[in-house]
Amino acid sequence: MERQAVTDWPAAESREEDSLVSAARDGDRVAFGRLYDRYARMVHGILLARVPPREVDDLVQEVFLLALRRLHGLRDVSCFGAWLGTITRNRANDYFRKAIPNEKVTEPVDENHAESRAANSAAEQEAAMVLSVVRGLPDAYREPLILRLVEGMTGPEIAARTGLTHGSVRVNLYRGMQLLREKLAGTARGASWA
Amino acid sequence: MKDDYLWDGSGEPDPEVQKLETVLGRYRHNPPAPAFDQVAEIRNVKQRRNFLNWDWEYQLGAVAAVCVLAVTVFFVMRQRSTRNLGPSWDVARLEGAPRVGWHSLGEKSGPGKLSVGQTLVTDSASRASITLDETGRVEVDPGSRLRLVTNGPGRKRLSLERGTIHAVIWAPPGQFVVDTPSAIAVDLGCVYTLHVDDSGAGLLRTTMGWVGFKLNGHESFITAGAICQTRPKIGPGTPYFESASESFRNALSRFDFEPHTPAERNALLGILLVDARKDDALTLWHLLSRVSDADRPGVYDRLASLAPPPAGVTRDGILCLDRQMLDNWWSSFGYGEIWLWRTYESDWSQPSRNTK
Repeated sequence: MERQAVTDWPAAESREEDSLVSAARDGDRVAFGRLYDRYARMVHGILLARVPPREVDDLVQEVFLLALRRLHGLRDVSCFGAWLGTITRNRANDYFRKAIPNEKVTEPVDENHAESRAANSAAEQEAAMVLSVVRGLPDAYREPLILRLVEGMTGPEIAARTGLTHGSVRVNLYRGMQLLREKLAGTARGASWA
Repeated sequence: MKDDYLWDGSGEPDPEVQKLETVLGRYRHNPPAPAFDQVAEIRNVKQRRNFLNWDWEYQLGAVAAVCVLAVTVFFVMRQRSTRNLGPSWDVARLEGAPRVGWHSLGEKSGPGKLSVGQTLVTDSASRASITLDETGRVEVDPGSRLRLVTNGPGRKRLSLERGTIHAVIWAPPGQFVVDTPSAIAVDLGCVYTLHVDDSGAGLLRTTMGWVGFKLNGHESFITAGAICQTRPKIGPGTPYFESASESFRNALSRFDFEPHTPAERNALLGILLVDARKDDALTLWHLLSRVSDADRPGVYDRLASLAPPPAGVTRDGILCLDRQMLDNWWSSFGYGEIWLWRTYESDWSQPSRNTK
């Protein structure tokens, strides 16, 4: 789990990314592939915060194909990350609308439990339990926490990719982590988690 | 610091965070990228072959139609850009029959559009949402009246005359503004709920990021988890966290909006300073520029005990309301970069007509 410390997001990175988005919008699919490489973890993380894990990989592909079709409509290339994040959240909402017609779009608790039951090994069960607890946190906290803890993105990277300010991401990460600690302590008191 | 490890992986590793990374790492994304270039090639070849196979009459007709369309679009776009209208917001009915102008959106009617100058009205049984791909999504609760004031590139301005909206904004900070009868709310990258009652009084609750509230020289920054009330002719009050004690919140409301004698004011300030917790630094920072010169040292001392000022911020400077020092102190709280506000707030200072 080696990670290089990143405290600032380089301006050159942003400029290069704007160029990639412009090129992709003009039909350059290689550029779009490079955007996929940069944003796949963000999309995966946002989906994982909302839909059952086994569905996430397919939905990641769907989101990028959807973005490819709609990219010509993006006016401000610097908004690509936030725009892609919105498409992803909408796709996650659509998943539940299609799966559970006429019901409010909420986190499928039973699904989580089923995922947990399906997990065979102790490690899998522990991972499923922790993920279930993270997914039970308020919206504002679970997304940055999953991007940080599951996808391995740093805070500055999350801010740069999602279009949020450093301050917002930092506050939500810390408060989310605090809440997660409390929930884990309560959920698995006496179990393997300590 | 362990907090640095959570933020960017630097500093002393936090064992609990490391364990979570290891446990949850099994869910990390790793499949290879799809072959997007092949997807595009198939589509392009198909399109090209189809067009070349057309009869020349159809080809000529298609070219002529494209030319007519291009000329039409050119004139329409030129007219729109001179009026600075920008793209319309998509209106979707969520419940009941919301109205855009005279047009009612029923169960069988499709989505509508909200253009500059138009008003979206929901009655007691209606809800609607408005969305603009490049800006964000706003859900409008029953009993609301919302008007689109400006819609130029990078400048979206709504006016909430009454009711409640829930805004999720992904446009860059400072580009989305909502006028209310008693304050202007400038989005600084966030998710928030804004309510305006029939008297024009407002309440803003931020869920994520932060919002700037401004009117008549009063400015308030409402961070995630915080609330701020506004009153006509007074403007935004002092923001506070919902978790603050009841006595703290009551004293603050009376301090901001009710007339009181100097003795009553001192008593209210006393409650605020005694009841303040570390989180209430948000409130005390705002009070620094709202109390009298005589009261400011007390507020400074209490705030400094809860959130010590960073290097370069001095007591004398704060007591003189040195803008740079106040901003630096705010930035040390970690709620958001204040330069965003300083950059954008002047662009939106002019209220629209319904702001009293």
